[in-house]
Amino acid sequence: MYDNSQFAELVKNNGQADGSTRKFKLSPVTDRVRKIREKYRSSQPKIDIARYKIVTEFFMENPQLQGILKRAKSFKTLCEKMPITIYDDEVIIGAQVTTYRACALYPETSFHWLLDELREGSIPNRECDPYIVDPEEAKYVLDTGEFWVKECLSAKVDEYIPLGWYKHAGNGVVTFGVKNTSMSPVGHFVANFEKAINKGFGAIRAEAQAKMDELEGNLFGDSISQYNFYRAVVIICDGLITFSKRHAEKCRQLASVESNEERKKELEGMAEVLDWIMENPCRTYHEALQCMYLYQMSMCLDGQQHGISYGRVDQYLGKFYKADIAAGRITHDRAQELLDLFYLKVAEMNKIWPYFATLSGPGYTSGQLMTIGGVDRDGNDATNPVSFMMLQAAGRLLLHDPPQAMRVHQGTPPELWEAAIETTQIAGGVPTFENDDVIIPALMERGLPLESARNYCLIGCVEPQGCGDEWASPGGNGTESYWNMVNAFLLAINNGYNPMPDRHGAMHPGQVGLPTGYLYEMETFEDVLEATKKQMEYFAKWQVSLVNSWEYVAREHMPLPLVSATIDGCMESGKDVMNGGARYNSTGNAAIAIGNITDSLAVTKYMVYDKKLITPRELYDAIVTNWEGKEELRQQIINEAPHYGNDNEYTDEFVKWASDVYADTINSSTGPRGRWSAGLYPVTAHVLFGWITAATPDGRKAGDPLADGISPVQQMDKNGPTAAVKSVANIDQKKFGNGTLLNMRFHPTALKNETGKEKLKALIKTYFKLGGMEMQFNIVSADTLRKAQEKPEEYKDLVVRIAGFSAYFVEIYKASQEDIIKRTELNL
Amino acid sequence: MEKQLTGKVYDIQGFSVQDGPGIRTTVFLKGCPLRCPWCHSPESQQFHSQLSWMEMKCAGIDACGKCIEACPRGAISEGKTKKHPTTQENIKHITIDRTLCDNCGACTEVCSYKALYICGTDYTVEELMERLVKDIPFYEESGGGVTVSGGEALSQPEFTLQLLKALKERGIHTALDTTGHANFKFIEQVLPYTDLFLYDLKHMDNDQHKAVIEVGNKLILENALKIAQAGGKMQIRIPVIPNYNDSEENIKKTGEFCKELGDAVTVVQLLPYHNLGVMKYQRIDDSKKVLEAPPPSEEKIASLKKILEDMGLPVTVH
Repeated sequence: MYDNSQFAELVKNNGQADGSTRKFKLSPVTDRVRKIREKYRSSQPKIDIARYKIVTEFFMENPQLQGILKRAKSFKTLCEKMPITIYDDEVIIGAQVTTYRACALYPETSFHWLLDELREGSIPNRECDPYIVDPEEAKYVLDTGEFWVKECLSAKVDEYIPLGWYKHAGNGVVTFGVKNTSMSPVGHFVANFEKAINKGFGAIRAEAQAKMDELEGNLFGDSISQYNFYRAVVIICDGLITFSKRHAEKCRQLASVESNEERKKELEGMAEVLDWIMENPCRTYHEALQCMYLYQMSMCLDGQQHGISYGRVDQYLGKFYKADIAAGRITHDRAQELLDLFYLKVAEMNKIWPYFATLSGPGYTSGQLMTIGGVDRDGNDATNPVSFMMLQAAGRLLLHDPPQAMRVHQGTPPELWEAAIETTQIAGGVPTFENDDVIIPALMERGLPLESARNYCLIGCVEPQGCGDEWASPGGNGTESYWNMVNAFLLAINNGYNPMPDRHGAMHPGQVGLPTGYLYEMETFEDVLEATKKQMEYFAKWQVSLVNSWEYVAREHMPLPLVSATIDGCMESGKDVMNGGARYNSTGNAAIAIGNITDSLAVTKYMVYDKKLITPRELYDAIVTNWEGKEELRQQIINEAPHYGNDNEYTDEFVKWASDVYADTINSSTGPRGRWSAGLYPVTAHVLFGWITAATPDGRKAGDPLADGISPVQQMDKNGPTAAVKSVANIDQKKFGNGTLLNMRFHPTALKNETGKEKLKALIKTYFKLGGMEMQFNIVSADTLRKAQEKPEEYKDLVVRIAGFSAYFVEIYKASQEDIIKRTELNL
Repeated sequence: MEKQLTGKVYDIQGFSVQDGPGIRTTVFLKGCPLRCPWCHSPESQQFHSQLSWMEMKCAGIDACGKCIEACPRGAISEGKTKKHPTTQENIKHITIDRTLCDNCGACTEVCSYKALYICGTDYTVEELMERLVKDIPFYEESGGGVTVSGGEALSQPEFTLQLLKALKERGIHTALDTTGHANFKFIEQVLPYTDLFLYDLKHMDNDQHKAVIEVGNKLILENALKIAQAGGKMQIRIPVIPNYNDSEENIKKTGEFCKELGDAVTVVQLLPYHNLGVMKYQRIDDSKKVLEAPPPSEEKIASLKKILEDMGLPVTVH
């Protein structure tokens, strides 16, 4: 439990006891923040059907409505009907559910999986991310749920799977199947919060109304689609304004029965804020915070919660903070308290995933990433007091959610560096470090002008995107946006057959890839490379094709007028973001297992073609039989052959080769709205995909985790972090506009004093100078993690970095815990 | 052909953060004239290469056992059966009779698991430099460089000299981690190429020093003074060993000596004793005993730190 004694410990470990000179100091949280935080850590998430009931009734009663008007009216209905819940001590309010820390249901996207899991009754007993289910509510969902099985987007997408795909499903590279292909679509974006805060939806509504008036009776050409877009915007603006005023009304109700005078006044103040915001431009720090939260929560209520990010929070709030402080309207401590309360509101938001998908993002994470620091549109350092307050909130609340990313550039102040390194140690990997010098050019390369690229933020895990003017669709279609590189290699040396047996022990029957021959037929290593390249290019193009087909359906059924109302370009063009309305557009993808394909190529070259230690047939047999009876060979490969991550040209050549083949294919592809953009990051998909990937020549057994992010294969980097960093820097990261992820783990003793921290900073800066894009850390000992496995109750608050996000270690599943422990402990 | 100069290296560690300023790569040379009972690098003591065995990696006799046959001297035989710490499987281990083993390495060649390996590799200066220059970007960003450590690097004086020279030729910051127990002529040789000495002071009392470490401290203290006189810079390191050198009196005397060294001392480092070296003894020799004691308390370290600080010395704790 988080209490003052633990805080004292934290402060001590924070180095203040040794009389250090550091400026960033954690200060104790207020009582109300402590209480809410305790409630947060002791509440078990529950499924809440308030939203489900409203949308189900609406959809059942309105089959005549389609497309964008259906989405807009569905949202407005939610704004009018959702019960308003305000908990004790809250100041920033709103929830898409009626029970604390509960999750809403989104049947419009996909639903068969929830019905299956409800029927099985497995949800409360899941190993990872269990939810309490009320039997009455489960019955209601099961009684009405069949309606959604064909009504949901996933079902509609299935109807449009390209015919040629049927013979390729099961290839293990592209994860699209032929059924239930769109499990968790349309997340991963950031709205334009600056417009919501500084302009208000009253003005946006008036603008949309004026556009309608102009078009009324002049609907020539295709202008009717613009007209209906503006019509949808008016509807959602009405919804938002109503929603805010209903919250104000609830505050007044509570104030009228409140006996504590102080709280009564506070509630009345909150009512004033909520009466004003959404419709009008915000005037104070408190209003801006509440507006940001309510807009974000509404987007989660409307669509679904999946990597919907906040963007540059310090940039939105900085000027309000400064003005309020200057005018004496607020104290610093109160402003920090409000920020803490806001963070706790974000943390309480949950989303239930299909169990399978939960395994790639465990720990009740919703990926509402916030961005700190960086340069402004003119290239000057953008740090402000709120940047520090955000780190303070993460550090002193020990929260894994919201995740935070810190942009760094040449002019990042040393104080912010210090605060960030301090925080990343305390709050397991929050923030991550992002390199402006690589990301800005990468975004310009995909079409953003300089000013816009400078204003980028991070989405979901590590995906850079223009903040408020780009629709980069970095998550592609949702859960199926990962692309397993090493399986392309396996298909390449197995004539297009997937060597991974299915669940019943049989091979996947068909030739799911290109007939590129077998390893034992390949006379030279060049033949292996050629075959690998063919399969990679083939499946990269299929990945693009399938997500493009998905988008063709999704833009009809899942437009987002609530987001489009603020994103630059949409109001001007009269088009929804899903239809290419944003000023800048792209689509993202993420490849995984770069470490494994690199090592597989290097090992094959070394063992078979260069040193001729074994024949191609021997290596081939070892892989397809999962190293059965070949343990010695496996050990020889692990211990003698060269591996990526050791600053060794022999292998590093292939990390560049493989990442180039993938990125060049993806980046030269186009979608309905614009260009594609390559990425290299896995969340925890590397564990999940490991389960369905056959043995690989690098010594990995079938089912074992794949390499994490762009990191070397687990335990294969034997020359320490400097060598690992130099190897990784061989990837031309400017090609990866959709993000890369380098997760490093250090033993806490390495960084326990000032010089250790300076050295960590120098490590990050060197990596960035060498062309690195992103770096994140776990500073925890394997020993501590083992203890946490044994006594979870004593380590309830231990936050660790998973990949694209952080989580409470005790809340993630065993295989993922083991993977974290196994990853090279870089002991300094 | 003339035999090329080589040094015997037992480890090269990137991102060393405790061996001088900035991010450093440390080269550990094998062999040391001292025998500190708390030594946490027992593999650094002998000058010759040694057979090492890592229990954790060994598959055991039932799964492998090839080393037993490979050994020409019959030094390897069946040992204890133990549970593997992570898999919990029972493993029938080997045992090595060190009186028979001559470190020929025949067993390591058949060990696919790399549980058996030879500790100590001969490098030429060129070979070593090839590895060390790779980390130049990190040295430059952090104000770091290369630290030559041991064992006692000055026990391989010619190699250490040539290595330091080569590093300076590439403009790399150099540090020499030394016990100070060496002929001063060797120190004099390396002085122009050594930006910083990491200099150990273990005990100020000659008898105590001799009783525990087998050599007195006279030479060490004299050399320190000579380095200071010659304009060398020193980072003084005091390993804090419970009930040996952690008395107020000894720390005070050490502090006074540091004052005597004057401007030469950049910082005084307290290195609290830890017992992480215990495992390493087992790898090279079952019979050796290392000092096993609880590490000094934080309060103890803080009070020693204060003593030195009150004398006006800059102090850090690692």
